[in-house]
Parts: sequence; structure tokens; C-alpha cells
Amino acid sequence: MAPAEQYGYAVARLRAMSGRLLEEALLQRILESEDLDSALKVLSETVYSSWLMELKGSGEFDRAIEAELLHVYGEVQKFVPDTALVQLCRLPYDFHNVKVLMKSALLVREGGERRFDLLTSLGNVPVDDLIMALESEDFRLLPFGLHQLVPHCFSVWEQSKDILEVEKLLDGGLFSAMRKLGAATGIEAASMWIRGKIDAENVRNLLRMKRMDMETGAVAGFLHDGGLISREKLLSLFSEPVESWSKILSFADVSKAFSHVQEINNLNSLVVEMEKVLDEYVADIVERAKYLAFGPENVISYLWKKEMEAKNLRIALVSVSNDTDRTLARGLFRHVG
Amino acid sequence: MDLLGIALAILGAAMAAGWAGAGSAIGVGIAGESGAGVMTEDPGKFGLVLLLQALPGTQGIYGLLIAFFAILKVGLLGGGAEISVNVWQGLAIFFACLPIAVGGYFSAIAQGKTSAACIQMIAKRPEETGKAVILPAMVETYAVLSLLMSIILLNGIKL
Repeated sequence: MAPAEQYGYAVARLRAMSGRLLEEALLQRILESEDLDSALKVLSETVYSSWLMELKGSGEFDRAIEAELLHVYGEVQKFVPDTALVQLCRLPYDFHNVKVLMKSALLVREGGERRFDLLTSLGNVPVDDLIMALESEDFRLLPFGLHQLVPHCFSVWEQSKDILEVEKLLDGGLFSAMRKLGAATGIEAASMWIRGKIDAENVRNLLRMKRMDMETGAVAGFLHDGGLISREKLLSLFSEPVESWSKILSFADVSKAFSHVQEINNLNSLVVEMEKVLDEYVADIVERAKYLAFGPENVISYLWKKEMEAKNLRIALVSVSNDTDRTLARGLFRHVG
Repeated sequence: MDLLGIALAILGAAMAAGWAGAGSAIGVGIAGESGAGVMTEDPGKFGLVLLLQALPGTQGIYGLLIAFFAILKVGLLGGGAEISVNVWQGLAIFFACLPIAVGGYFSAIAQGKTSAACIQMIAKRPEETGKAVILPAMVETYAVLSLLMSIILLNGIKL
């Protein structure tokens, strides 16, 4: 961990950058647009304008969102004393790319087509390097434990032909890599943020499995170690009604997330609503950064807010593009500010 | 003329100027780093940033002022020491210089940190500039108190 004094420049710059995060008023204007073109016109008043100019068609708005995120990650990585914090935030994209490439490789074996269009350049490892490693089956140089995990996943697939099993392994690998990277930074806030993320993911998985009415025995494999709530405690939740989860988890901060949920009786809307409140729970973990002028947690806090901004923008633009219920979309906006 | 007395007085003056100046340099540096961060994204805030960055610089000036008083007192400023200063008087001048040396050093660093935080504040909320100036100015109070005490003590020494 770099000395706190070195964060003076970085935190000041991040504060100035956070002033340009898209506010709810602008998202409302996007939502109120008649069509996608008008929505993109509103968006062109923001920092996204330079990326929007490069688009071939309005339907490619996701490329503009990705380009802005990539630009921000690149810039922040240049001036932050602990670059591992940026790596930490980009790590899920590496594992996403590995998932896409593995599924592509498995699809090709079954006679299907590669889906390289689903790859993202937001990861730490260049996409070309990942493609090269997976195509040539030379995994030795892959970082973040992927050099062991990827061949293991392939062998699991060979034995079980169960893609869900492979996904579980990769998700477990992601959180394990995040924990290692977080611990290596020596920044406690980073470790707490990762633990909170694991809790959020576990609760999210539990709710999804509850909705799918899965058997209790199958649930354990979908829960990840390393969160603030033990796996055993989470497993004991599964047999209980969702209404009582908040009480059972009252010792943990994640229980606060349930207090924001209104539709607790309808599992379908609960799962959607919980996606939002769990994202905000993760943001709250590093929220105290705003009181720290030299705190490294400001880096995570800003990057997470930028991710939430991208999510909000996708929700708004998809809603306008598909002409879906705007009120529903409005309710899904994450707090960025 | 007691050379040790003069030497002690000079040591006091050097410490007042040196430590307070060092504190100011650190404080201005801390605030400057934050200022550079904000101006990278928003160069239009130069005026406000400069004002806040300059605030921790005052301790260095206070230290220099006390150093001048001290060497004036022993008659060194004219080029030669004509006033007789014994060891006890030299020691008294040395101690009189300490409040601004110590107070200046620590208050300048603290003020630099406060200024840096306030620069960050105006990066996000430019409308709060007035408050942003008041907060580091509060730290200045203690540098002024140190300066005042050094002046009173120096004036109280009879040569």
C-alpha cells in the first residue's frame, strides 16, 4: 500500500472526475426521450459525446458506454499510486472474457460458432492474449490463477459436460483472485469491499435459486467463501421464508439491503429489486471514502460509481430503445453522486 | 561579548525560519498536489486552488519575521554584533523562537492537509468556496498564536 500522502493528487482528481458522473436528472431526460436518437442526443451533452461520434448506428450505444469505461479505467490506472485497486475493479471482466472464450471453445467442439463479439476490452488481460492462450491451449502465462483454473475447467467439462459447473468454478476463481489481490494491496477497505461483494453475490444467488425452487443440497456449490457472512449461515437461510432473511441476517450489514425492498412477497420482482439494492450495499461499503481526503478507498468508490453510471445508462437506453415501462426503468437506477 | 549567547540566539532564529519554512513547504506541497489533481480535470479552478494552496505558506513568513526580530535584537542585521548577549540571554532568545518554530511547523502541515481536503471539496462543490477558505483559516489561528507568543517573549528579553 502506498503512503496515504501519495493519494492527495489522485483523490483530488477523482473528486473532480466524479463531478462529471451522470446525475439522475439527465437520466430522467434520457428516459423521457421519444426514441433512441433523441436519447443519444441528450447523452451527447455529456462526456460520452466523443464516443458517440464514433458510432456507426444508434443501436451500438453499448460500445460508447464501454469506450468511456475503458477510457476512465486507463486514466485512473495512470495516476493512482496502487494500480492493483484498478486491477481489482477490472478483474470481473477478465473472468467474463474467459467464460466467453471457454464457452466458444466448447461450442466449436460441438459444431457451433465462436462468439467473440461478446468479449470486452475492459479486462486487465488484453483480449488478443486471452484468445491466443485459449486457442493454442497454452495457459502458462495467464495471470490471476487462470493458468491453473482454465485447464481445470476444461477437464471438468470433459468429465461432466455441465457448463454450470464450469461457471461455478470460474466464479469461485474470480472471488479467490479478488481476495488475493485485495490482500496484497494491504488496504483494508479493499478487502472489506471484496467481502461485501461476495456477500451480495451469495444473497443474489440464494434468491435466484429460491425462485428456481432448487433443492437445498445443490445450493452450497453456488455460494462463495470469503464473505462477511459464513457459508453455513447462508445455507441455513435457504430453508427459511425470504421475509425472515432480514431478521436472521440482522447481525450483518447486508440485512439493511432488505429494508429498502418493497415487493418482498413476489420473488420475481424481489430478485430484480435486490440487484439494485445489493449494488448500492456494495457502494455503501466504500462510501466513507468521501470523508477521507487521502483514502485509497476513494479509487474503488469512484470506479464502482462509474460502473453504476454505465449500468444506469444501459437501463435507460435499453428502456427507450425497446419502449418498455419507463417507471420500471426509473426504479432500477442506482444512486450515483 | 559572549559568543555562546550570540550562537544560541542565532540557533533560535535559524530554527524559527527553518522549521516554520519547512512546515510551510510541506503544507504547500500537500495542497499543491491536490490542486494539480483538480486542475488536471478543471483548469478553470486555478484562482481558487491558488488561494487555498497559498494558505499554509504564511507560517514560513511568520518564522522569517521572528528570525528577523531575533537577529535584530542581538544586533546582527547591521553586519556586526555590537550588543552584548550573555548565555542566559541567548538561551532566552532561543526559547522565545521555539513557539513559532514548533507551532509553525506542525500547523503548516495540518493546514496543508486541510487545504488539500478543501481543494477536493471545491472540485465537487464549487458553490461552497467560502466555507472551503474558512476551514484552513481556522488552523491559521494557532500559527498566529505561536507568532504572538514568540513576539511577546522576544520583547520581554532585556539585553
